[in-house]
Amino acid sequence: MSVLETPRLFFRGRITWDPIVTNNRPQQYDENEGKTVFDSDNGVAAFRKDAIAAVTGPGNWNPHGTHRSTFYETFTVGVDTGGGLSTSDAIVKSPVLFTGMLVDLEPYGAFSSQLFFDDMSFGIQGGCRVFAPRVTRMTGRYINFARNTTYKYVAGVASVVWQTSFPKTSGLRIDPHDSSLLQKFAEQLKHDDVLGLTVRWNTYRTLYFDSLNPANNTALAQQLHDKLVGGGFQPNPARSELVGVLGLWRKGEPATEPGDRALLTRQPGRMASAHARVSKHQLTLDLANSVPETGVDLAKLNLGDLNAVAVAPDGATVVARLGSLKYADYCREKYEASAGIVTIEVDWGEAEKAKTADIQIRQKDDTVLLAEAALRAVPTAPNIYLDEGETTTLSVLVLDRGKPTGSGVQVAMANPDTSSGASTTSLTNAEGIATFSLSGTKGQVESFVFAAGQGAAVPQGINPQTTTYVYVRTLPADADIAGLEPSWTTVYGKVLRNWHAMAPCMDNWLDLGNPDQVKSFAAMLHELTAKANFEAFRFMPVTRDMTTGERALLYAFLDGTGALEAVVEAPPQVSLQRLSRAMRGGAR
Amino acid sequence: MIYLEFKAIETVDDAIELLQMAIALEFSTLPPYLYALYSIRPGTNAAAFERIRFVAMEEMVHMCLACNILNALGTNPVLTAPNYPGPLPGGISGGGKEPLIIHLLPFSKDAMAQAMAIEEPEAGPMDFPHEALEAAQPTFMTIGQFYHHLDGFLATLPASRWSRGRNQLDDRQFLAGKVFAVNGFTDAHRAIDGIVSEGEGTRDSPLDFGGDVAHYYRFAEVFYDQVLTKADNSKGYAWKDKLGVDWNGVYPAIADPGSHDFSKDPPTARAAQDRCDAAFTRLVQELQRAVAGEGGRLGNAVRAMFDLRMAAKQALTVSLAVPTQVAGPSFRYRPSLVGAVQ
Repeated sequence: MSVLETPRLFFRGRITWDPIVTNNRPQQYDENEGKTVFDSDNGVAAFRKDAIAAVTGPGNWNPHGTHRSTFYETFTVGVDTGGGLSTSDAIVKSPVLFTGMLVDLEPYGAFSSQLFFDDMSFGIQGGCRVFAPRVTRMTGRYINFARNTTYKYVAGVASVVWQTSFPKTSGLRIDPHDSSLLQKFAEQLKHDDVLGLTVRWNTYRTLYFDSLNPANNTALAQQLHDKLVGGGFQPNPARSELVGVLGLWRKGEPATEPGDRALLTRQPGRMASAHARVSKHQLTLDLANSVPETGVDLAKLNLGDLNAVAVAPDGATVVARLGSLKYADYCREKYEASAGIVTIEVDWGEAEKAKTADIQIRQKDDTVLLAEAALRAVPTAPNIYLDEGETTTLSVLVLDRGKPTGSGVQVAMANPDTSSGASTTSLTNAEGIATFSLSGTKGQVESFVFAAGQGAAVPQGINPQTTTYVYVRTLPADADIAGLEPSWTTVYGKVLRNWHAMAPCMDNWLDLGNPDQVKSFAAMLHELTAKANFEAFRFMPVTRDMTTGERALLYAFLDGTGALEAVVEAPPQVSLQRLSRAMRGGAR
Repeated sequence: MIYLEFKAIETVDDAIELLQMAIALEFSTLPPYLYALYSIRPGTNAAAFERIRFVAMEEMVHMCLACNILNALGTNPVLTAPNYPGPLPGGISGGGKEPLIIHLLPFSKDAMAQAMAIEEPEAGPMDFPHEALEAAQPTFMTIGQFYHHLDGFLATLPASRWSRGRNQLDDRQFLAGKVFAVNGFTDAHRAIDGIVSEGEGTRDSPLDFGGDVAHYYRFAEVFYDQVLTKADNSKGYAWKDKLGVDWNGVYPAIADPGSHDFSKDPPTARAAQDRCDAAFTRLVQELQRAVAGEGGRLGNAVRAMFDLRMAAKQALTVSLAVPTQVAGPSFRYRPSLVGAVQ
């Protein structure tokens, strides 16, 4: 199923990451209230100055970020229509185009990254092309903090699995021309079982300051600081390598994170979790996120020959030998050519046994690197925003060796941050889906973890390599703000000032501190901040943290005719507290 | 078709002179493209907007790369603001035609026709390798030939003639994957190849080396309101589906605002023009300092670019004395305005 079946398209390239990271710390941002934290009466200028000052400490590598993440030097590199990797299809060497807004649902944490975007394109208009309008935002999961341990700088050690799916009923367009792969995609999409296409990509070897040597980053941070002090617009995007795959999305498969059979890591430093599919004669592994690089030169760790086996319930006794991988199957060249997807031939009889037995990936000395977790409870909406007072239903799809379970399977959900550790349970329906009610009771960020199966232990915390989880951000109602007189003083002081301080990049498009400009762009602001456009690339604020009360006050101002009073800010002051803040690390 | 005066390259100074002209040429293409771009009404012409914006961005890249090559040869680039209407730098008559006079035109078929004329590739293969100089010397050359001509000479320079890391712009902050340092001929050759292919396409295809539609054909898609589409014919392409151009989705902007007498227009229109000119002047000044190696100045230039965009958007909504008319930015270099206009 999924990208682990053919036909599929491979791509490879690079992506920039340009988030504002000033909101990663409680000293600068209150993620529960969704508000920028100002020092007493100091205003925007002082806040911005402090954010710049933090660049030379371990605190802020990108105060002028834009949140934009853009593919560059990214091209289709091969296809597999069932006969193995081919580089001769007409779609090969076409540009892959993607621009999204990187937003962490939880600003303080690193487990809830997402990319808001409008569409994605494989190939260009007029040529062989897949044009895929967004229905569901891109979600980052299975973060691997042991991927590139030689680059210890912010998230430089990590890699991430990104995924979303494009329903065939929502504008997905395929222009095959002379591409055999796209012809097969188009043919497959006619089947009722095929919902559309899934794209999955892996980002890794993230560099900061475009520096291959993190030891240089302190000096480069000083250079950035000096640029910022000099004025202008000084973004500092990080950048990653990426490999990816586009394949079929079938009924019963999660849209935003991998389904298939989950092989979870037992040796995180050697191999991170992967996904697998066994067909009659093949085992296909998605190792895109799994094998570490040994350095910034991107050479893969040589784990020697790896054996794929299926084991008895004791987890040790081998009941089927599925085949072996050699280093050449997962080395850098192979990885980049086929996005880390490895297929090996399997004896039919052994494959049959593996249908009901856990798969393991072992080293030659039988060290278990990966072991299957048969039951997986996967939330269908992994990152959820609520307004205070709002209630929604969370659906959790339970997979049993990659396929939806039937009815009656128990799913437990718990918030690992609560002291009680109490969980709520629900049973799956005939489609393998269990539902939970979520209520936004107050402004906060919560996470919930899942366990499937009668009596299964609920994880005590989130390990993104092994845990399935959902993040929920509830924005406070701010009814008091909604009730204020819609003057410029209140709308700036209670609403716009938050982003005027936090997002200097906004100065490029609209001076949020200029009442005339704000008024003159009233129609555009209405459109960009409308909740109906929440998923759109250009939604404002990018960080999705405008409360209902703030929105009401803003609209009252935009729609009104009240006089525009001047706003006087206190003179800027340096905050030593902010200077000392620590750089947000990768793991919590 | 733009024709440039043919100049033999016998010395590094000749090459430097041509590189300086290349920088001026790339710079001069930006205002006409931006004028057309800015004049598109919001909410209309998304496909056309994206195509023009894409080309303008690549022209900025080309200018940066040309500056990098010149810097690598040890010479500081000089940015000279162009005047409109007027010929492109180095533009001469050629092929029996008068020099192309470039105008600032709002989004229209005429504007696209002018852009196509600027970007038009030479019909058929027109290599202009250095060795060809031994044949009868031509008197003019196209932009593509101009760059190949330059490339041929640069190939003959010894490695010692190149400076490493001198005032180089890179993609660390902007234009990822597009702008790169030039430290020797290999880099310069890569830059020139990219500039030519993005402008004209490859010899056998309307696509550039990156698989994108080259500039001429991007403008042609807008002009014809059709998409250049793969086809099963001898040329491999045909004009097919509608692109979706709305020629009415444009502000009623006058052409060549630099030639317009704003003294008879309302003060708001004059002020709007001043803001545009001030932003453009800052842009030129900051870019000049950036290509001279001043760290951080590129960021200042980008900020000025955004300021220009904002000023243009505002100017395009302010009526002139003729109330049905507005004016976009004149792209006039007026140092006296910098710091004086808010």
